[in-house]
Amino acid sequence: MRNRHALSRAAVYACLWFAALPALAADPLPKGLLVLDGRAAPPLVLNDLDGERWDISAARGRWLFVHFWATWCGPCRKEMPTIQAIVPQFDATQLEIVLINTAETEDTVFAFLAEVAPDITPLMDSDGLVTEQWQPRGLPATFFVDPQGRLQYLALGGRPWDSPEYLEFVQRLVGQ
Amino acid sequence: MQRQPMICAFATLLAALYLPVSLAQPEPRPTPSGLRYEDDSLFIRIVQRSPEQLTAFYLGRQFNQAAIEHILDTCFVTPIIHNKTFDVLWLELDTWQFSRGDEQIPRIKRDYWPEKWDRSGLPQAQRSTFGWTLMPEKRDLRRDEGVGGSVVIPWQQQPFTLRMNFHTGADKQGPLKTIVFEDIQCVTDTP
Repeated sequence: MRNRHALSRAAVYACLWFAALPALAADPLPKGLLVLDGRAAPPLVLNDLDGERWDISAARGRWLFVHFWATWCGPCRKEMPTIQAIVPQFDATQLEIVLINTAETEDTVFAFLAEVAPDITPLMDSDGLVTEQWQPRGLPATFFVDPQGRLQYLALGGRPWDSPEYLEFVQRLVGQ
Repeated sequence: MQRQPMICAFATLLAALYLPVSLAQPEPRPTPSGLRYEDDSLFIRIVQRSPEQLTAFYLGRQFNQAAIEHILDTCFVTPIIHNKTFDVLWLELDTWQFSRGDEQIPRIKRDYWPEKWDRSGLPQAQRSTFGWTLMPEKRDLRRDEGVGGSVVIPWQQQPFTLRMNFHTGADKQGPLKTIVFEDIQCVTDTP
């Protein structure tokens, strides 16, 4: 019974995604967004800052905003408040914002986020190997993974996610 | 009687206001003065960090002293590049040339570091961080894409020249863009 519900929910999200495609095609992408080839997202299993395990394979049925960053990176520091600003604007069943810190300690990350983005609990790529497997073009970088687990877009560098141009792009993507 | 000189003065003022803009528009300057260059298609700034600043940065990332000593044996040149065009701009470090007069200065590539890190017992997390602080070897910079990172050469006592070459266009068939920075120095700590 639970499986049937999950299947029908996935079908609804798939329909929403296909329904949103023409709208996305009609509007030009905001600057710095690349269309990817829809290949399957690489594996991603990490613990978050609270020690909870997170597995991308259990996150099907919703869009993922997968963001790689580090506190030492200037554009990352500038971008982070704009990510914090959009967190309350999306239902987690539509869009899950997943932050992956690259190779820093819990103390460093906690001290930074407590000030800048207190609502975000990042995943900790403590040795940096998951980041290397995903091969972002640099830090920061944001991948959009569709509800079927495929890489659809990549945002190059830091972007002002709370500005109308980028916010509307994400809203259209998730069918809001 | 006084109207004509006033019109002349007004026209001269307009011309003076317009002139710097018109001069600034068309021609890229291949040899920037200082460590900054900008034209319609490209922005470059070169950041030079002193040994003290490099030490503070890497100590703050939990690098050990032995690893930092290896870093300080070299010279870090850190360009920040922004592609302002709607076309692809190719970052390819192998096409860049460091030189002094006729002497070519070899670049220290990524494969130099693993042996140094092994000797200094640097953990994987710090190796990963270090990799992200280096300039990518090759990148097809897209519209509005920026990139920054350190390019490493052996320590130099004397100033040197950096000639940056960028192929343009998705298939590299566009004109080659060359920017030359003169008189770059490896920075020492100020006393």
